[in-house]
Amino acid sequence: MTRSPDRSAGPKSRPVKKGAMFEKILIANRGEIAVRVIRACREMGIRSVAVYSEADARSLHVQLADEAVPIGPAPAVDSYLDMGRIVEAAQRSGARAIHPGYGFLAENPDFARLCEKEKLIFIGPNSAALALVGDKVRARQTMEEAGIPTIPGMKSASRLPEEFRAAARSLGYPVMVKASAGGGGKGMRIVHDEKGLAPALEAGMREAKSSFGDDSVFLEKYIVEPRHVEFQVLADNAGGMVHLFERECSIQRRHQKILEEAPSPALGPELRMKMAETAIKAMRAAGYNNAGTVEFLLDPDRRFYFLEVNARLQVEHPITELVVGVDLVRQQILMASGAKLSLRQEDLHQRGHAIECRIYAEDPKTNFLPSPGRIAFLREPKGPGIRFDSGIFEGWDVPVHYDPILGKLIVWAEDREAACRRMSAALDDCVILGIHTTAGFLRDVVDHPEFRSGRTTTAFIGKHFPSWGTGVEEEEKERLALAAAAFDALTQPAGPASVPPRETKGQNVTPWTALGRWRAGGHEPHGV
Amino acid sequence: MNLMEFEFLVDGAIRTIGLENRGRTFVFRDGENVLEADVRRVSANELLFHFGGRTARIYLTRDAGRTLVSVAGREFIVTEAPQGHATSLKGDEKTSEGNLRIKAPMPGKVIKLSVGEGDEVRRNQTLLIVEAMKMENEIQSPVDGMIKKVHTAVGDFVDSEKPLIEIEAKK
Repeated sequence: MTRSPDRSAGPKSRPVKKGAMFEKILIANRGEIAVRVIRACREMGIRSVAVYSEADARSLHVQLADEAVPIGPAPAVDSYLDMGRIVEAAQRSGARAIHPGYGFLAENPDFARLCEKEKLIFIGPNSAALALVGDKVRARQTMEEAGIPTIPGMKSASRLPEEFRAAARSLGYPVMVKASAGGGGKGMRIVHDEKGLAPALEAGMREAKSSFGDDSVFLEKYIVEPRHVEFQVLADNAGGMVHLFERECSIQRRHQKILEEAPSPALGPELRMKMAETAIKAMRAAGYNNAGTVEFLLDPDRRFYFLEVNARLQVEHPITELVVGVDLVRQQILMASGAKLSLRQEDLHQRGHAIECRIYAEDPKTNFLPSPGRIAFLREPKGPGIRFDSGIFEGWDVPVHYDPILGKLIVWAEDREAACRRMSAALDDCVILGIHTTAGFLRDVVDHPEFRSGRTTTAFIGKHFPSWGTGVEEEEKERLALAAAAFDALTQPAGPASVPPRETKGQNVTPWTALGRWRAGGHEPHGV
Repeated sequence: MNLMEFEFLVDGAIRTIGLENRGRTFVFRDGENVLEADVRRVSANELLFHFGGRTARIYLTRDAGRTLVSVAGREFIVTEAPQGHATSLKGDEKTSEGNLRIKAPMPGKVIKLSVGEGDEVRRNQTLLIVEAMKMENEIQSPVDGMIKKVHTAVGDFVDSEKPLIEIEAKK
């Protein structure tokens, strides 16, 4: 252990037993979350080891890590999901611990078990707890036995079409197809009638197989227009456990979160306390340690149901960091090294309001189709209370092989209204050219009167944004864009990617040839 | 007076923008809409438009023959208007025999091909599934018809330019 005293001996720094902290951590992930963990390592005086596929040789996480190890071809199954290669990379580089980020191997109990066997520390829960909460059916049984309310559904996964049909009939349509190993909306399908059941099962199983390597699915009663509220929990290896309050993640498209906020506008102190206590109870029942999240659905009558445990650092963790004032990645690393929690429940409070918008490489105008490609220009938003966690840079090609998340724009302000205004302005200032992103769409979500009033449910996008990208404001912006393109063509004819200007006789103005055609002569404009 | 007109293609529509340099300001015309603005270039990629007491920061860059423009959080792709003024430039185009060309709406990998040459298809029937960024996208037939050609196979990486399937619409 060679931590320099100037890095560890600050007055607020938690006393860590000498020799206990890792010298080197391997980050088994890519993109913005790998960057986030690398930054935490750097601040803690820990060396970071990145791993990368052939598609990511130039990626930001590779640029920022102290070391980088290639682990295979672009498809995730041959690289980021290849446990053997990742463990080998850790052993070769001398890393004692592996941070899995989210997605990929983060919630794979086989990987956690392999790490335990190879004497590597998996920065996450123990493999038994991971296996339990990762199996949605077993998790629900455990929660029911612990007296925690759950959504009515099948008691186990099945392969028999008639079992699914019978279960759907007894639950009553609409029902939801869910992947046993699921998360992030993958493998999920809503089914409104028996006719739709078979295709939904087929698609759900195929997507579950490609996302998690396991095609088992089950059915659950579909709760119409719920809110999605989750509680962050930290649990050390000695049984110490605190919650860091809630995040509301109701704004979703395709059952995937795109905007999260904390605190939830739906909770009063009493309900918040009750749900927090239930979250702690759920994590104790699961034998959980390290950072994790208990997800609930909150129905319009304010009844809440256990949904699942997210056994990982979550995409939306920064809003909790900003509202509660705790660095979750640092806490994860401390707990994994064996340190006891220094946080006491009575010292933890929510302060102000935070919102996160997920900037995806997707086109909101075509129902969020993926939009991989080159980032031709990037200007990140700046200002007080604005944080942009991203894995991108100008000139980078967003690969087609992985999740479309480019980064997360997070704001904090004194209250919800101020946070909404700050987010709206920050999204306006988020300039990513060359690919389509969700930034402009999210601006309109944040500015929507129903969002401003806090009436957020998982049906919000479908209800208020059946389509997007038209209207007076859009037309004005388009007109300005065309004006700018005309001005640019006039004043900078030889742009970086344009052809040299053509010689033209009898004109005082530099002729412009890169774009459009110039009608010679200048006749009188219309309407004058 | 310096007046010129530019013909652009944006979002599938041809637009004519008049631009007049009045020395201190520029006047832009788009049909009946007229904008007089003081325009300043901050850098190769940033313009400031001052008009009516407000300032708009506009970012732009050129990439592969396109001008990419960002206005208050919205991105626009502006290209040179093609010769000949086609009225509609959106959607699937037709071959010389009048067959419909089906393209992928996004780059990705073909993971399922549900039809073969000679198959009869109905409108909205799934033809193939393209996956990108872990998302499946079903491509459906826009018409009742018959599959004339299949230019792709399962496992192919496809872009959004090349036709994947040709369909002869039922008359």
